[in-house]
Amino acid sequence: MKVVRSAVAVLAMLLLSAAFAQKQITIYMIPKLVGIDYFNATKQGAEEAAKELGNVKLIYDGPTEGRVDKQIEFVENAITAKVDVISIASNDPVAIAPVLEKARKAGIKVVTWDADANSRDVFVNQATFEGIGKALADQMAKEVGKTGEVAIVTSSLTAPNQNAWIKAMKDVLAKSYPGLKIVGTKPSEEDQQLAFKVTQDLIKAYPNLKGVWALSSVAFPGAAEAVKQAGKAGKIAVVGLSTPNQMKPFMKDGVIKSVVLWNPVDLGYLSVYAARQLVDKGLKPGDKVVTKRGTFTVQKDKISLQILLGPPFIFTPQNIDKFNF
Amino acid sequence: MNATRRYFRIRLSAAEIVLVAALALAIIVMSRLSPQFLTVNNFFEVTRFVTEIGLISLGMSVVILTGGIDLSVGSIVGLSAIVLGASFHAGVNVWLAALLGVLAGALCGFVNGLIITRANIPPLIVTLATLAIYRGLALGISQARNYRDYPDVFYKLGQGYVGPVPVQFIVFVVFMLVFVLLLGRTVFGRAVYALGNNETATRFSGIHVDRLKLIIYTLSGFLSGVAGIVLVSRLSTAKPDLGLGYELDAITAVVLGGTAIAGGSGGIWGTLLGLFIVGIVRNGLSLAFIKADVQLVFIGLVLIAAVVFNQVTRRPARR
Repeated sequence: MKVVRSAVAVLAMLLLSAAFAQKQITIYMIPKLVGIDYFNATKQGAEEAAKELGNVKLIYDGPTEGRVDKQIEFVENAITAKVDVISIASNDPVAIAPVLEKARKAGIKVVTWDADANSRDVFVNQATFEGIGKALADQMAKEVGKTGEVAIVTSSLTAPNQNAWIKAMKDVLAKSYPGLKIVGTKPSEEDQQLAFKVTQDLIKAYPNLKGVWALSSVAFPGAAEAVKQAGKAGKIAVVGLSTPNQMKPFMKDGVIKSVVLWNPVDLGYLSVYAARQLVDKGLKPGDKVVTKRGTFTVQKDKISLQILLGPPFIFTPQNIDKFNF
Repeated sequence: MNATRRYFRIRLSAAEIVLVAALALAIIVMSRLSPQFLTVNNFFEVTRFVTEIGLISLGMSVVILTGGIDLSVGSIVGLSAIVLGASFHAGVNVWLAALLGVLAGALCGFVNGLIITRANIPPLIVTLATLAIYRGLALGISQARNYRDYPDVFYKLGQGYVGPVPVQFIVFVVFMLVFVLLLGRTVFGRAVYALGNNETATRFSGIHVDRLKLIIYTLSGFLSGVAGIVLVSRLSTAKPDLGLGYELDAITAVVLGGTAIAGGSGGIWGTLLGLFIVGIVRNGLSLAFIKADVQLVFIGLVLIAAVVFNQVTRRPARR
């Protein structure tokens, strides 16, 4: 009898302590939209993290189209439902800010990821301009060597992201690969046909061309198609940013050897770990977020704090089949 | 006091009583699903979500009562928002800019009415065309840019509260009462129902049908303009894609509220019930963490059930 009683007492204590250590939190994660492969990949990562942690209730839902007014309704409902963390990839950094501010005043922690907002506790940043620029430059040097003529097919000549990447690429070239000479920078205006045409022109105009950077998910397939049709597969390298699914056919044909991007699975994964730590201990510059996939450092930024996912991810023929987005 | 009561007396039809019951049922089910649902604060949050669609659906109710339809309302929301944003950034006072936005909405509606009556083209076709045209204008004027940075006082309209009541809900209630009076107590209201029941007979009874239609479509545009201004204030941003798809939400509220799509019967109280049934079901399902795609299916089913029920209850009445 005594044994039973003490066993019950021990069990009760165990349960109680477990309840304290494992205080469950609810994370409401809102992507830009649901139902596309990219955000499904972030969802997969978030679910993996929630499972590892064991004490996170993850709700992943968002609008069926990428509109900020719909997202605001999701945030408002999350505030009313008194969740612990709102984790969002915002469709508009300014328009979403007032409602996120309201959430923070109600004591809810706000994490942004993928696309930042003007009010939040921490931003999980998938890639910096410098990181992308360096990865693109390094990858080109790896594929064509350290000397030769190369060209850029960008989106539009005024596109801020692309221009920031080009600047970062040029910095790396000047420092590490002065032998790689950029002979032309052509706009493709988010038009795959135009990307195809300007790449054809570049191939004709520069017979010694060794490589082309294609700086958008529209420019990349256009440029790759032009190289393929010119019969230059393997002779002219195409390096660029896009999603694995879109570029798989070109990789199977041997037209491209790499796709530069970040890993959205890891992005969703890290954002859940960051949210858990934010609720448990708070975050400050210099803190480490320790996960089973690596350790990430918290940095100060213009708005509050951010955590960088790390250098971009390079999809190659060896790993590309593991991804579906 | 007595007079006021008479003017706003709510005469509910059988279909509307069923809607009230459906609303009550929805509230009971939702409060079981989530403990946060049945609170005063949450009720007023719902009123914030439904205001813009609510304003549009007032105009839409009148349009559908006459047997017409206005598909361009969502695009008018976007164009009004852009007119507000562009004129404010050109240096116009923000309230004057808002007025210009509302007037632009009314003008859009007027153009709809003009084409429908002068060219004698069905409203479905005309407003389908202007849906594209007005959205195109919004994109063209703004060059797909967003207009932001309004003075703080402007944000009171879409983000402020009087006590627990959101400011925009007060705006909505005022317009709603005006429309209840307009439809229930005026010659205009009678003409609207008459037109929906039998256009030819209405014409022969001496009512200026074309002028009536012109007024109705202008009203619809005007209310869409007001909705656009409220939306800009709520989002702190005028974007050319604002109001995309709102026409369907507004038509849903009207049809769910028992207004016959062929015109002639229904009214504002029904639309209000339809509006709140959709708003409450969506809010309740969200609070219970039920996913958006499930919500869409659910609302579609509710709509079909309501319309089927209306047809069943109306049939014996006709005999």
